[in-house]
Amino acid sequence: MDMHGFSEWLYGTAVSSAIRDNFWVVPVVQSIHIIAIAVVIGSALVTELRIAGVIAPEENICVVAQRYLPWMWRALAVLLATGLVMIIGEPERTLTNVPFWIKMALVVTGVLASIGLRKPLLTPLDRSSTGPARSLAWIMLSLWVAVIFCGRWIAYSN
Amino acid sequence: MNLDATLEYLANTPLAMAISQGAAAFPMLECIHVVAIAAVVGTITIVDLRLLGYRSHRRGVRQLIQDILPYTWGAFALALTAGSLLFISNAPKYAHNAQFQLKLLVIVAAAINMAIFHLTAYRRVKEWDDRLPPPAAARVAGATSLALWLTVIFLGRWVGFTL
Repeated sequence: MDMHGFSEWLYGTAVSSAIRDNFWVVPVVQSIHIIAIAVVIGSALVTELRIAGVIAPEENICVVAQRYLPWMWRALAVLLATGLVMIIGEPERTLTNVPFWIKMALVVTGVLASIGLRKPLLTPLDRSSTGPARSLAWIMLSLWVAVIFCGRWIAYSN
Repeated sequence: MNLDATLEYLANTPLAMAISQGAAAFPMLECIHVVAIAAVVGTITIVDLRLLGYRSHRRGVRQLIQDILPYTWGAFALALTAGSLLFISNAPKYAHNAQFQLKLLVIVAAAINMAIFHLTAYRRVKEWDDRLPPPAAARVAGATSLALWLTVIFLGRWVGFTL
């Protein structure tokens, strides 16, 4: 079964029509999705600006990561859950959509990069803000911004 | 010139026409608007939660606000600019949309709440900078701000479904 066939099957399920038939579900779920995006951006902004050496240079990077990384994981879980509701409700709008798949690739990259490069910051170590670490901070921020751009483009690309 | 004529005039300016008729301008402005709103609400939430007693990366409220507020303001200016450009592209329709009107009112309420906080509790921040939990006035300001900004997001998304 290809993606188009899968979308049609998903569209025909009871849960998919339940999401569409209750007019308030999609706007409410989208609003929660945006609030969770705000939490990711807020957490990423403070963490990455600290690593880039722009704010709070006298605070330990480890303390900053301990404060904000857990919020990032929680928000990403909310994004996954609300995102799934949107996909189930309107499968054709998402699963056969190019910006959607670019977004998914960027999200996977962002999550893997956070696990590989940001989770280790939780352990207290003596860290100096090196040039590459600072550049990486800006790349991480750009990555999350690119995710938002792709997310909004989903609505315009079918 | 009455209000409706002004709105009509705005929507017919070359800039507004370029936004409403171009293929990419409107979606791109929306992308910028969403990024900016995420930064406004994301950063303000950190301050609001600190006012409610959740720790941030700074011990004191004053340093936290000094770290974060410049970014909140910068992002707000960006959201306002992108939002104004989206507005003029279809000014009469946005202006007559109840959710849009309510959204503006809630933003004004958030501004008033912030002004009250800065003129009252924040004036005496030296007395409670490091204290946990913060004084009741700070907690009320934080809870109010959080509730208002979350409402702004709901209303903003709702505009897209009612226009």
